[in-house]
Amino acid sequence: MSVLEDADAPVERLSPLQEFCRAPGAFIRERPHVPLVPLILVVVVGAWEVIVRAGHLPDFLLPAPSAVGRALASGLSSRLYLEHFWITFSESLLGFLIAAAAGIAFGTVIAQFRLLERTLYPYLVALQTLPKIAIAPLLIVWLGFGFSSKVVIAALVAFFPVLVNVIVGLKTVDAGKLDLMRSLDASRWQTFRLVTFPNALPFVFAGLDIAIVFCVLGAIVGEFVGSQRGLGNLILQFHTSLDIAGMFAVLLLLAALGVGLHLVIQTIQRRVIFWAQADHVIGA
Amino acid sequence: MAAPLIVVSRLEKTYLTRAGSRIRALADVTLEVADGEFVTVVGPSGCGKTTLLRILGGLLPASSGTVELLGRRVTGPGRKVGMVFQDPVLLPWRTVLDNVMVPVIVLRLDRQLYRRRALELLALVGLTGFENRYPHELSGGMRQRVSLARALVHDPALLLMDEPFGALDAMTREAMNLELQRIWRESGKTVLFITHSIPEAVFLGDRVVVMSPRPARVVDMVTVDLPRPRDLDVMGSDSFGVYTRKIRQMLGPKGWLE
Ligand SMILES: Nc1ncnc2c1ncn2[C@@H]1O[C@H](COP(=O)(O)OP(=O)(O)O)[C@@H](O)[C@H]1O
Ligand SMILES: [Mg+2]
Repeated sequence: MSVLEDADAPVERLSPLQEFCRAPGAFIRERPHVPLVPLILVVVVGAWEVIVRAGHLPDFLLPAPSAVGRALASGLSSRLYLEHFWITFSESLLGFLIAAAAGIAFGTVIAQFRLLERTLYPYLVALQTLPKIAIAPLLIVWLGFGFSSKVVIAALVAFFPVLVNVIVGLKTVDAGKLDLMRSLDASRWQTFRLVTFPNALPFVFAGLDIAIVFCVLGAIVGEFVGSQRGLGNLILQFHTSLDIAGMFAVLLLLAALGVGLHLVIQTIQRRVIFWAQADHVIGA
Repeated sequence: MAAPLIVVSRLEKTYLTRAGSRIRALADVTLEVADGEFVTVVGPSGCGKTTLLRILGGLLPASSGTVELLGRRVTGPGRKVGMVFQDPVLLPWRTVLDNVMVPVIVLRLDRQLYRRRALELLALVGLTGFENRYPHELSGGMRQRVSLARALVHDPALLLMDEPFGALDAMTREAMNLELQRIWRESGKTVLFITHSIPEAVFLGDRVVVMSPRPARVVDMVTVDLPRPRDLDVMGSDSFGVYTRKIRQMLGPKGWLE
């Protein structure tokens, strides 16, 4: 093997933490955003606190960050928030899992048969453009105020991004890979298993990443429309009692839920489609 | 000369474009390749070389004429052929070894047995130690070597190569030419190799088939009488220059290769 070729073999990649420990100065010079991201948070929250205190704004209009922090701490310690959090979390996750399974299954079937795709296409477009959360009141009527109606709304909202991405992913295969399979006289199933399906995975994960955000949205809207429990219900309760600090605290919990779920998807994605990630790095 | 492994007679190909016009890519191509021979095909780009190769590989139906491989009409892809495309076309989610194993899986060959063969082929193409790497961890030249090992793994009688080193830099390309010659000599395969580089065609080929601009016809066949194994120094020799000049004259005056 020539020396030339070894030269463009990739070097071992360090984790950001390892890089920071090795040369903190250079690390920050190359990535000035790393210290800036938390700095912005500190500045904004600090300014907010100062403005609220100096302006003597009443708590029922805009609570200071410290008041929100107190509300959050007391809500968490009384386990009140956690119960509601758990409800919304399970509704969202279950809805997501249903949407993911159904989206992958239907998308795969639809992408296999051109006639099926063409027949269903106008309906898919119609359903996709319909704001799914508008169906929420109907589902509450059909399924009641409990857990199941929220799961169905979450699943419904999250289903379409998965479906669409699966179909697009399965149809976006480069001709060379299909030629390779054809040159070996591969069966449809072999081509699907060895090329088309793994090739679609980056699209599938893009869909799942949208779906995981959408399913929380669906669950919350469902709780707004009719529920006895959940973080959406808690927001309505605080709204009635004008507990604005409590509402902010719930929003923080929702943000944490969203970010947490997104990170879970990203972690799985990084493991499953590590090969696509490497391409992104080169493209970035 | 041994019995012909592949016989191409009066091959014609006319594409029908979406707009409804016709593009004649091959015009009356007749060609024989002997068992164990290394034949290179040169021609201006866009003349129909890839078209010819795809028909030989059974990926594309001819408009008329026939292709016979080992005495049997080629009507579709088969396991007697191994193809190396312009791009390596590796599956990025599979390791190097697993990429080489793709034909074994598709053709339902004995995995245990052919795994050994795949490892031997990776050694042959100089990739020992890279079996468990992924394609994105390899350089362009290394990827094309994987693709070569994959084309050989199911022990095809004929190797079809479509400008496999066209995307590589000049130095890597020369190194790959040397290695291909060695691999060919060690494996005893019949090779049909397409290129638009005249020196590459002369360096590698027992015979060089010179094609005209579209629609491709066989302009001439030049038998290259240079001793094997050839090293890169041969490119500086007088006889090498005679061959390349002769072919360039067939293609050059009208600027076909440019
Ligand atoms: N699928 C196709 N439909 C229509 N025209 C095609 C198709 N494939 C190739 N051609 C045309 O046929 C000619 C020969 O193409 P090709 O065999 O790829 O040439 P080469 O490999 O020698 O560069 C070109 O003019 C190309 O545009
Ligand atoms: Mg070509």
